[in-house]
Amino acid sequence: MRPEQIVEAVLFSSDAPLRAEEIARADESLDEDVVERAIQRLQGEYQEDERAFEVAEVAEGFQLLTRPEFASYLERFDTVPRPSRLSGPALETLAIIAYRQPIGRMEVEYIRGVSSSGVIRTLQDRGLVEVVGRAEGLGRPLLYGTTPRFLEHFGFQSLADLPRTEELSVVLRDRAPLTADQEAPVDPDQEELNLEGSEESDPQ
Amino acid sequence: MRAPPGRSGALLPSAVAGPGRFVVDLDRFQGPMDLLLHLIREQDIDIFDIPIARITDQFLAAIQEIHPEELDSAGEFLEMAATLVRIKAQMLLPRPPDEEEEDPRAELVRRLLEYEQIREISQRLEAAESQRARRFPKGYVPPRPKPPLEESPLETTWEEVYEAALGVEVPDPKAREHQVTRRGVAMEEKVELILKMLPERGRVEFSELLRPWKEKLHGVMTFLAGLELARRRTLRLRQVQPFSELWLYWRGEGGAGSTGDEAQDRAAMPEEEGDR
Repeated sequence: MRPEQIVEAVLFSSDAPLRAEEIARADESLDEDVVERAIQRLQGEYQEDERAFEVAEVAEGFQLLTRPEFASYLERFDTVPRPSRLSGPALETLAIIAYRQPIGRMEVEYIRGVSSSGVIRTLQDRGLVEVVGRAEGLGRPLLYGTTPRFLEHFGFQSLADLPRTEELSVVLRDRAPLTADQEAPVDPDQEELNLEGSEESDPQ
Repeated sequence: MRAPPGRSGALLPSAVAGPGRFVVDLDRFQGPMDLLLHLIREQDIDIFDIPIARITDQFLAAIQEIHPEELDSAGEFLEMAATLVRIKAQMLLPRPPDEEEEDPRAELVRRLLEYEQIREISQRLEAAESQRARRFPKGYVPPRPKPPLEESPLETTWEEVYEAALGVEVPDPKAREHQVTRRGVAMEEKVELILKMLPERGRVEFSELLRPWKEKLHGVMTFLAGLELARRRTLRLRQVQPFSELWLYWRGEGGAGSTGDEAQDRAAMPEEEGDR
């Protein structure tokens, strides 16, 4: 058996993304490099043959997915699993957690301005976020982070696939200093908005 | 520190909230940040120079529509209102130019920009989500065949409904009342029963003692009697393993020496209703 065939069989039989090292478990002749080269060859073959599916790189792994241009055909079937869409509040909360992880509920609520425990629980139930630790400090609040399932849901290969903050139209570094004595504007190279110290002036 | 003039009047949301009164549908907003950002962006206000008095009035006017039953979300809006009013008050206080103090609006601006950025990110996420939704993995899930309701004709006849209605037993409200009754079975009865059977048989199965009765209470009382007699060292309780048959062994009147059989009693506990 050629490595491509083994890899193809493994990918075909799986309904979730598999990492290269997981695929390599299929046979002694395989290792991560061999698997990745085999996947590249498969991708080439599928493209050449104009296959309706491709090896997608999702959630730090690989998965056979149909190409987007076939969606309209598949959507006519009830048997095709249709991923459910997230609500506005869920997306907002997920965005905060994805960019600020690890982050506690209080910080999420401070940014959103609304209570978020219900949304966070829903996201947890759906396996999109998980508790990744506890913060230091009073009560040692739980800290949340995203899961591989999150990457899968949005078709991201890794967290690096998230929209980069400098691509966004609203960027904090664009702001003019409010007053001369205000703290320095956020460093352009610093991707995250500066939330540190903001809690102290929180009126609550 | 004395409140500057005009402060108290500004606290109240004026019925006519100055120029450009805004009518907003609160349901559209996910929270106070969303509403505030909307007010600012809708009116093309420079976010770095928010006319705090005007925005505060508009914000207060908008949240007047919150119904009392939505108190949960109202709290969040009111908290923001309080923040706005506080900033407004701070703006009115004279600030010595040489003093190193941040613009009272600075923190709010940071929060607004941050929220706006998060909102843009969540729009991007939504786009990514719908892109991803156009690509399908293997893993067909065959749906459970469920005949549509409207396609299956209604075949129930009136007679059947009537019969079903007659069959319904109206629960007796008295039957649902909790009644405390006297113990109908005395433990002494059971002690006597055991003492009658055991000396001649040497050993007896617990379930055999219960055989003539159905009520759980007999099981309970027999078990208690067994424990009592074991305590008196009249018999020994044996059970090989939890939930297996419980045996009562005769030790004779007065009991010949302790062999630590009390431990057996504890093992016997789950047996109480085991065979019922």
